[in-house]
Amino acid sequence: MDVVLEADQLGKRYGKTWALRDCSLRLPAGRIAALVGPNGAGKSTLLHLAVGLLRPDAGAVRVFGGSPYNNTESLADIGFVAQDTPLFRDFTAAELVTAGEKLNRRWDGALARNRLAQLGVPPDKPVGKLSGGQRAQVALALALAKRPRLLLLDEPVASLDPLARREFLQSLMGSVADAGTTVLLSSHLLADLERVCDYLIVLNAARVQLVGTVDEIVAGHRQLIGPRHDGGPLGGVAAVVRASHTDRQSTLLVRTDGPITDPSWTVREVSLEDLILAYLADGDTTASHTEWGVPA
Amino acid sequence: MIWLAWRQHRKQLLFTLLGFVLLAAVMIPIGVAMRSTFADLGLPACVRDLARADVAPATVEACEAGFRRFTNRYGALNLVAVLLVMLPMLVGLFWGAPLVAREVEQGTHRFAWTQGISRRRWVLVKFGLAGAVVLTAAVGYGLGMSWWVDPLTRAAHEGRLGYIVFDLQGIVPIGYTLFAVALGIFAGTLWRRMLPAMAITLVGYVGVRAAVAVLARPHYQPARTLTFPVTGTGEPIGDRGNWILSSGVRNPDGQMVVSDTRMQCPPGALGPTGRGCGAELGVEPGAYNWQLYQPAGRFWLFQGIEAGIFVLLALVLVYVAVRAIRRIA
Repeated sequence: MDVVLEADQLGKRYGKTWALRDCSLRLPAGRIAALVGPNGAGKSTLLHLAVGLLRPDAGAVRVFGGSPYNNTESLADIGFVAQDTPLFRDFTAAELVTAGEKLNRRWDGALARNRLAQLGVPPDKPVGKLSGGQRAQVALALALAKRPRLLLLDEPVASLDPLARREFLQSLMGSVADAGTTVLLSSHLLADLERVCDYLIVLNAARVQLVGTVDEIVAGHRQLIGPRHDGGPLGGVAAVVRASHTDRQSTLLVRTDGPITDPSWTVREVSLEDLILAYLADGDTTASHTEWGVPA
Repeated sequence: MIWLAWRQHRKQLLFTLLGFVLLAAVMIPIGVAMRSTFADLGLPACVRDLARADVAPATVEACEAGFRRFTNRYGALNLVAVLLVMLPMLVGLFWGAPLVAREVEQGTHRFAWTQGISRRRWVLVKFGLAGAVVLTAAVGYGLGMSWWVDPLTRAAHEGRLGYIVFDLQGIVPIGYTLFAVALGIFAGTLWRRMLPAMAITLVGYVGVRAAVAVLARPHYQPARTLTFPVTGTGEPIGDRGNWILSSGVRNPDGQMVVSDTRMQCPPGALGPTGRGCGAELGVEPGAYNWQLYQPAGRFWLFQGIEAGIFVLLALVLVYVAVRAIRRIA
């Protein structure tokens, strides 16, 4: 299986704070991958490292086998849409397509124009005056016109209303399905990703919490409900991700490594959303409590 | 990339050109009027005569009167000249500060740097184009100002080396403009916000310019001294256009009696109290006027040194900015 994006002990530091740390992952070719995490988890940092805007402070990141930093060769194969879809606001959409043509060796201007015509984006209006949804579509069209093998999208739908969000993701899926483009798409909106993504990377507090295909991840986790549990080992459970207790009953979200045979537990499947939330809720807030001077 | 830079900055270029045309439309008629008055008063001949060593005292007197008339009419334009000194700073504010800061503030650098071209090329074209534009503007400004301010400087006793007029003409405006733009780029790259970058450019430009002009410029070359006796007639010959750094009256023992002035008494003249000339101030017989000055002939040398300093500063600032751009994401 071809690996498009590979991170090995990757780290990036801003001053003393690590924005991303010990990040190791491999993104196989042809996947639509979701990069999930709360704000400040390091999603943008990871994407910026992948597209070569940032240089790693630790470890390495490789795209198509090469380091992307300051590397126009790998850049030609990457389509990137940054957060808030920044475009030259006084340019018209048509001028932006021309700009792309001037800045790229491989450029499919016809693809961009066709897309934008189909979506009803006016070609002669400054993009700063377009709606957020249209602007995102322009940015996506520009990224696709590079005919990239890897498409990196940083929170492309965060600022869109639900309708525009759905349209954007639909048009994205429509265009990458045929070309076999690998997509890595960051978001904190879980419901949208569940529909379109088949691969998942969960980041929280600068670290990777979970990586894998959606099917494997869902299959590998179970919710257990049973008598109050004191934390001892359970048969078939690799790790307890999250536990909540009442006086007599415990609800556990666990990662499994075999069948759960203990009859005292009721075993349920978990939805992807619950699962991600369980991983994200696992943040460390001790430092924050100390800083605020309140008891944890 | 050149197309992109042109498309991004063409409006700015248009406004810059428009500003220049407006400025020229105002300044050229004034300059023409000033020159014709200068000629009508017979002052070009005076400039020639006063430079000679054997000039007759009557001619000096007539010429000084002519210069006074000219200065009385056009002296107020020195205020305009003060405003014009600020022009290079404006170029720095509006061309330098936004060049990188605006891109980073709007996030468009993430678009530009993730297309097929390297950051190095982006920097080269963008800085190169902005540099070419401001260089052309600065050369035009320097030449135009040299022409415009010429009658004013010739009429003024301190000549072209004096503050403000020195800064307006010749090649120093090129140095100043490049420095202002480089400072803007530097501030915009390090602070990455347009408003702080503009503020830093403004403060930095005024600060560095003032510091160099006041602290460094008088010492580009060892200053010369000129002495002439208090008792005597006529001004010292041939000191028109010299830049006088400090002056005063000294007693024969070398002690400064009155500073920042010069004194001339006809032989045998007495002060109001009937004692010797200037005796009330402590001036003893045999006292002499003393001047520390830079001779007028050093104008181009000083222009070269000052322009060199600012071009060098500009290069350092641009170098630091280019290094810093590598760390922006």
